[in-house]
Amino acid sequence: MVGALIALIFRHPPLAFAFVAVMAVVAGATSGGRIRRIPGARRAALVAIALPALGVTGVLLLVGAFEVTPRAAIPTAGILIGGAMAAATLTGRRLVEALDERADEVEARLALGDDVPTALAPLVRVAVTTGVVPVIDQTRSVGLVTLPGTFVGLLLGGASPATAARIQLTVLLALLLVELLAGLLIALAIRRAVTAPGERVVVPPADGRSATDPGRG
Amino acid sequence: MSVGDDAGIVAHGIGLTRAGRRVLDDAAVTVAPGRVTALVAPSGSGKSTLLRCLNRLLEPDEGTILLDGVDVRTVDPRTLRRRVALVAQAPVMLPGAVHDNLVHGLADPDPAVVARALADADLDPSFATRPAGELSGGERARVALARALTRDPRILLLDEPTAALDATTADHVADALRRIADRGIGVLVATHDDRLVARVADRTVGLGG
Repeated sequence: MVGALIALIFRHPPLAFAFVAVMAVVAGATSGGRIRRIPGARRAALVAIALPALGVTGVLLLVGAFEVTPRAAIPTAGILIGGAMAAATLTGRRLVEALDERADEVEARLALGDDVPTALAPLVRVAVTTGVVPVIDQTRSVGLVTLPGTFVGLLLGGASPATAARIQLTVLLALLLVELLAGLLIALAIRRAVTAPGERVVVPPADGRSATDPGRG
Repeated sequence: MSVGDDAGIVAHGIGLTRAGRRVLDDAAVTVAPGRVTALVAPSGSGKSTLLRCLNRLLEPDEGTILLDGVDVRTVDPRTLRRRVALVAQAPVMLPGAVHDNLVHGLADPDPAVVARALADADLDPSFATRPAGELSGGERARVALARALTRDPRILLLDEPTAALDATTADHVADALRRIADRGIGVLVATHDDRLVARVADRTVGLGG
């Protein structure tokens, strides 16, 4: 069915915009659903995914890295949206888990006079790192451990190994940038969502507790 | 430092509802400079919550909290939390050495203040170089006390400071609190420890103040 839809889009190029938009919205809903405790999670995930993925896709098309056709644009956007979704999900989940696990540390930092961004900085750093580790490992090991899909697809489609490698490298570097930006954007959105007036951190409860609730005495 | 009738912390009518549960209802407490006030109430009655309201780690739904006559809601929260310092029941040590913990967040730490804080917490100066992650429970409690003191607080809030300590270490902490109060700092201790109350408290209050 997806194949038939894409064939239709190839015949009617303006439909490509709608198709890519649907991809981004579904990715945002999927990723945001993983951190639904956070107010506005789906909207934040949509922005964190669509902004870097579509922005970088646009730049790649504008600079002539790929043809400005649905045949090139849709797979490129798809790869980047998929990568951004993975990074946003990993980063978001890790950060929300850390807000629970390290609530006492966050409280200690706030009690010592840190503002919220400073108090949450170690958690954000770990979460963003977690989010981009897969693409970093993929980039480092490409050709040694795995032959990535783009490379294999191009070879099977008849491209020369040199052309396939050049395009794959472009995609990998773009993915690296997009995933880093997606991780940063979702982390900043979560930080903003849990920041309450008076330099406080309030995490909507998953089990009746919140980050600043000591749950004692 | 003015020490008038309104000096220290005066909180009254404090109410807080969380997740549909009334955690604090019309709570009140007064902490005078230079005095040790023991806040004694049953477990789960909201002592820890009240301490966190006093430096705005939690925001009460009702009531007024004044620090030296000024509504704490008008004070920058970061400044407030340095003037009203909290030592949690299970203090978290931040990464690095003890010294890193003591000067955390201080723009221009004064070595004399750090040294005095260590002494006030009954810690040897050599402690400063110890990895904070390798301290025992009693050492962590005292480092947390010293860390709070490096903020140069007007008021010190302690949540069950002797809960996990042996009697000797608890006595060291009690003596440290006495010295700190004698320097003019107001001390509020939420505790179940009758021995601590008897040893150091100038005044014992419940959640009604």
